[in-house]
Amino acid sequence: MQLLLQNLVNGILSGGILALVALGFSLVYGIMNIINLAHGAYIMLGAYLAWQLFTSLHLDPMLSVPLAFVALFVFGYAVQRTIINRVVRAPVLATFLLTFALSLVFVTIALFIWTGDTRGVQTSYAGANFTLAGVTVPWAKLLTLVVALAITGLLYLWLHRSKMGRAIRATSMDVGAAQLVGVRVPHVYGITYGLGAGLAGAAGALLTLSYPLTPTMGDPFLIKGFVVCVLGGLGSVEGALLGGLVYGVISSFATQFDVTILGQHLSGTGLQDVVALIVLLLVLIVRPRGLVGRATV
Amino acid sequence: MGLLLFVPGFHNDYINLTFRNILMYAAMSYGWNMIGGYTGYVSFGNVAFFGIGAYCSAVLSRAGVNNLFADVGLALVVCALFAIVVGLPILRLRGHYFGIATLGVALGLTDLANNLDFLGGSGGLNLKQADQAHFYLYYYAMWVVTLVCMVATFFIARSKLGYAFVAIRENEEAAQVLGIAPTRYKVTAWAIGAMMGGAAGAVFAPANGFVDPGTAFALDNNVFPIAMAILGGMGTASGPFIGALLLSGVNEILQQKFLWLHSLFFGAIIVLIVLFLPRGLMYLVGLRGGLRRWFSDLRAFRV
Repeated sequence: MQLLLQNLVNGILSGGILALVALGFSLVYGIMNIINLAHGAYIMLGAYLAWQLFTSLHLDPMLSVPLAFVALFVFGYAVQRTIINRVVRAPVLATFLLTFALSLVFVTIALFIWTGDTRGVQTSYAGANFTLAGVTVPWAKLLTLVVALAITGLLYLWLHRSKMGRAIRATSMDVGAAQLVGVRVPHVYGITYGLGAGLAGAAGALLTLSYPLTPTMGDPFLIKGFVVCVLGGLGSVEGALLGGLVYGVISSFATQFDVTILGQHLSGTGLQDVVALIVLLLVLIVRPRGLVGRATV
Repeated sequence: MGLLLFVPGFHNDYINLTFRNILMYAAMSYGWNMIGGYTGYVSFGNVAFFGIGAYCSAVLSRAGVNNLFADVGLALVVCALFAIVVGLPILRLRGHYFGIATLGVALGLTDLANNLDFLGGSGGLNLKQADQAHFYLYYYAMWVVTLVCMVATFFIARSKLGYAFVAIRENEEAAQVLGIAPTRYKVTAWAIGAMMGGAAGAVFAPANGFVDPGTAFALDNNVFPIAMAILGGMGTASGPFIGALLLSGVNEILQQKFLWLHSLFFGAIIVLIVLFLPRGLMYLVGLRGGLRRWFSDLRAFRV
């Protein structure tokens, strides 16, 4: 029972950051129909920004989260308006290739500035944890989860209540109709892409609390984000959140998996992503549009 | 393609290796082109078959069999069977959902290879080291594999099978109404592509002398073949080869000139290609109306 509870908590704790990573990816995917392979690079840039601020100004990574969000929002907006917008209506593979190339460029620049050495942020509370009902909770991970949930909640409200949010949702439903009622689509696309990059940057800054930094650190998160947003349902805030938590809990429970078949030892710690991916395939076969039904924002 | 037969004549290991890699990427690109280019089902996990092929050779070598025909034969059988078993459920998914499922398959296999002892785990497996004579043998073997992929693509595209693939790409419902059973044809295309990638992997492993999850299921090997097919022309029999020749060639030259920043320039070149040729080089071949038409077509992609 204790073990069960601990695994559940671990899963939820790691699921929050996955949800945040998937959220930005899902927005861009669902609204602009762009498979944004540069998402991992934005996570990496956010993380290095937080690391740089921590090393030179001793700024806590938590305080860097909004800074990383704003910096990458502006950067993402600029990238969309100057580059991606030129081929935004081309077949989806064109933008797929374009964002892959952009990510190659960003990662190489990061490699040049920060070198390939593994870096880390050592906060005073890095190893601290507390125990509640026999379940150990690391402060850093709990903080990460709370911030991730807060950002998700704010985004949900903003998309549903603000004028811009409504314009974004309208554009995702029907570009032509949105244009007719006066939505400036290029601007909306810029904002959407900027949001995606900003969310990635915020996630990256949060990740520095518990993950080491390298210029390619974004790759596994890009892939997990991709999986999570499909698992939950494309382009929906609730879907990304649910998908992230489900993915986190499943891979956490998978670590308990430990068997030996025909002299072959299989341990769950190495196979947790395999288990999560099998679950994804099963979910897709039963519910081809993800956990949260239709793809709407 | 015929000219590439004379590459070993240079007796230069570097040139030999470079062109063998170009051929390898071309074969993988043909594999992707079959499912992604002809049936329009965009797979993000075709590297899985390259990895399976490579591991087939590695396992055979560990069992004492060092024969390229056996390697390729086993890879073809295993890849086709795997593609059919996996393809039957996931090819019912549409669009992006299919893409993500294929990516999941590739990632799952990577993790499995990392954890299975008989595949060497994360440490990988060594194969019998190639001597100089074999070095050229592998080049010719890769050449044959690529040629077979190209010729097979050419003939399939002009057969009833190929027309069925294209019909599914253009409109799956309409194809079904015409009596084409979509799932059966999609699985066929997927399995043919799988065998192409698997054969490339089966030749790559003994030539390389070493296989581990990082080389067999490399992320780059997933994206480059797609980029090559797009650049050269998706759904054509010459596109993947032209794309592989151009893209690998450019990458190789950049690596020579700028060891440090070559990825930066490589990325920038792909960005320019997508911005000016979002539909690949084949678009230029069919272009009527010169520069004006070209730029007005490009403007249609903006918002």
